[in-house]
Amino acid sequence: MKLRDVVMGANASMYQRMDFKKIKGVYYPKTEEEAQAAIKHAKENGFDVVPKGGGSGLSGACTGGNRERFFISSLQMREILTISLVGRYADVQPGATPNEVNTKLEPLGMKFWVAPSSRDVATIGGLVSTDGGGNDTWINGTMRDNMLSVNMLTYEGNHLIIDKNGVKSSNVELAEELNKKGMNLDDIAGAHGTLGFITEIRVIIKPLRETKTIGALIQFDNFDAMGAGILQTIDNGCPVEYGEAIVMAHEDVREGLTPPLLILEFPKDFELVFCNANVREISRKELTRLQDIRIKLPKRNPNVGTQIGLFEGYGLYGDSLEHMGNTIREIDEVLMEHELAPFVKYGHAPSKWYLGNNSPAYGLVMHSREIRPEGKTGKEIYRAVEDIVKKCEELNVTPKPEHKWLYSDEIKKARIQELRAVIGSSFNSFIFEPDCASDTLSSMV
Amino acid sequence: MSIDRCVQCGSCVKLCPMFDATGEEQFSPRGKIYLLKVMDQIAEDKELAKDFRRTLFQCTLCGKCDETCSSGVDLLKIWHQQRANAIDTAPEEFAYLDPLKEALANVKNIYGLAAEDRAIYWLDELDDEIPGLEDRVYEKGKTADVMVFLGCLMSFRSSQMDVLKSLFKTLEKLEVDYLVMGAEENCCGHPLYLIGNETGAEELREHNKKVMQDAQAKKVITCCPGCLIQLKNHHNLQGIEALHHTEFFDRLLETTPKYNQKEPLSYHDPCELHRILEITKEPRSLLEKLGVEYKEMELSCCGGGGLLRMTDPNLSDKIIELRKAREGVQNTTVLTACPSCREQLLSTNLNTKDIVELLSDALEGGNK
Repeated sequence: MKLRDVVMGANASMYQRMDFKKIKGVYYPKTEEEAQAAIKHAKENGFDVVPKGGGSGLSGACTGGNRERFFISSLQMREILTISLVGRYADVQPGATPNEVNTKLEPLGMKFWVAPSSRDVATIGGLVSTDGGGNDTWINGTMRDNMLSVNMLTYEGNHLIIDKNGVKSSNVELAEELNKKGMNLDDIAGAHGTLGFITEIRVIIKPLRETKTIGALIQFDNFDAMGAGILQTIDNGCPVEYGEAIVMAHEDVREGLTPPLLILEFPKDFELVFCNANVREISRKELTRLQDIRIKLPKRNPNVGTQIGLFEGYGLYGDSLEHMGNTIREIDEVLMEHELAPFVKYGHAPSKWYLGNNSPAYGLVMHSREIRPEGKTGKEIYRAVEDIVKKCEELNVTPKPEHKWLYSDEIKKARIQELRAVIGSSFNSFIFEPDCASDTLSSMV
Repeated sequence: MSIDRCVQCGSCVKLCPMFDATGEEQFSPRGKIYLLKVMDQIAEDKELAKDFRRTLFQCTLCGKCDETCSSGVDLLKIWHQQRANAIDTAPEEFAYLDPLKEALANVKNIYGLAAEDRAIYWLDELDDEIPGLEDRVYEKGKTADVMVFLGCLMSFRSSQMDVLKSLFKTLEKLEVDYLVMGAEENCCGHPLYLIGNETGAEELREHNKKVMQDAQAKKVITCCPGCLIQLKNHHNLQGIEALHHTEFFDRLLETTPKYNQKEPLSYHDPCELHRILEITKEPRSLLEKLGVEYKEMELSCCGGGGLLRMTDPNLSDKIIELRKAREGVQNTTVLTACPSCREQLLSTNLNTKDIVELLSDALEGGNK
């Protein structure tokens, strides 16, 4: 074992304990050629390949489970290769973060408009693999809406260029077969590194906005009112440029706020009207302060004890959003049955995400953190996750919408398996283990 | 334990100068915390444990991770504790630090040079230019309002001579009642503090404190942020205020003559000054009073902190080379306010000046 192998387990999910002897190597390629060589080496040794980006997700997909595996980290592939102001795109390596890309773009008056909370560490490759979005997804869409093509290496050593129309490759037969299956960017978005290693992404760039915006703090009496308010913004097509919800927060991290509340930024000439809510215009300074409070919520801890992130996110839409009070209550009941005290709930709203069949959903992408109970084993905590997934299905909440959790999204999983049958099935295979890889995952908490 | 509060979000990864220089996760703060979290699984592997101990010293202790962390993890405290643990556990792996420890124990400076030579080199060089400077060197019985604590680098390194000259000239020009600790100065203890040797550091501090008390000093000033951390936070100086030289001069001077700026300037703010000591206003206030135009460099480490020059000089070099290439400051004079940063900047052939050099020039050439 080497230290550089063991440390591959570092990631933001609760799946952190693993058999380190099964990590057979780590590569940090700088170029596509180096990545190609790494995959070849893995193949020659018959090991799975796990692509890893910033490791900021809660899904645990970047751990590769507990198989004998090679990691390929994209962290040294962080170049911005081309910027085309005319074509409105930038070609970036997968390890660049949105912040790094925008540092280059902003002096040119342009921006890459995907803003996850973890934009300082989440990589563009990781955002493709999770179809990530952020506080402006409502108007700018998720990662799939913000890319034109993806270059990807397969386990068999083929180089694919995938865009919304299909696949190109020097392996003409392979491209033909994949095109027959209708493979396109929708398949890559949210594939969790199960199809290959992404080496380059052509992302859409757009001019920085000059619209004058204002901020507002909208406070609701209860969760139902909040759900109705979010639905109202969706139905009215409110041009919300930044939308975040703080659903609940433990007093240790509430900083004087009284959730449930929405923090919105929208064009100054738009008249924002909410029924059953207290709407207050806020200064730019206060907006910045609230944004800062919100962005830090996933990282904060209670004064006593520590937080745990069980679950990537809850997609509340339609009925589950309309009856948000019931949705939250039922989720909390499951959590408390497992002695997990709710700590914070927050998320992007109004927002958009894609279901496993690639149709869009609109609502609240809610994230949650709980206070870790003393004395519970990893397996016991994992049981709460299983129960939450079941409860979400019952409530018509999309489990982990932002990351399209393959473990429970059978449509997406079936589609990826169909494609893996053609291009090779040795990338991040643990995801396809029986029963949503529960045996593996429960051993890793 | 504080490490349990780390949620592994990764916000400390990309901003870490060590990760920036190496590109590998085991050098990042998150990586190291992760390794601590799973230590029960890996500690039995002797090679792994040894590698981990080594990575603890591949860190500049710049505090950027600590500043960024929103999870309440006391990262700097953890790095200090873990360094101490590492040396306790496997002293033989850190034998290369023994000469440093021995020098500090025997002659009270990091270079192993005779203690009485602290005021020899610069005095020889500057005595003609600054008449009466010899009288400013502390001896038993002398008293002054202000004690100047030079620190090891400024006492012994010829590369610091221009800063020393400017410092003394400025003090003279402003008619400050001052003494220099000279041969009675012990190392401030910072190098030992950085390796978790609190006992050794305390012995050095005790003597310094006594000298300052005997001299009836009301203030102690230093150009070295590392020394200032020790003087301010660990010397327990009662009734003696410890100040960075930029703080001292900024307070003293409501206005200054304008600096006759002929070259483009950039400012590298030392990590220990702005991040650890939170002294951010005074250096910039002085620069404003001097009327200089300058480019703010990224608030990032030069690679000279945390004893990295001693524990991994190649990494230290790489960090400053990367910054030099990235920030495009080759054609500027890089201002700073730390002798250790100055050494790093000089090592990569950058022109550099301490802020006090500008002040001294302005006072010499300008109209009061």
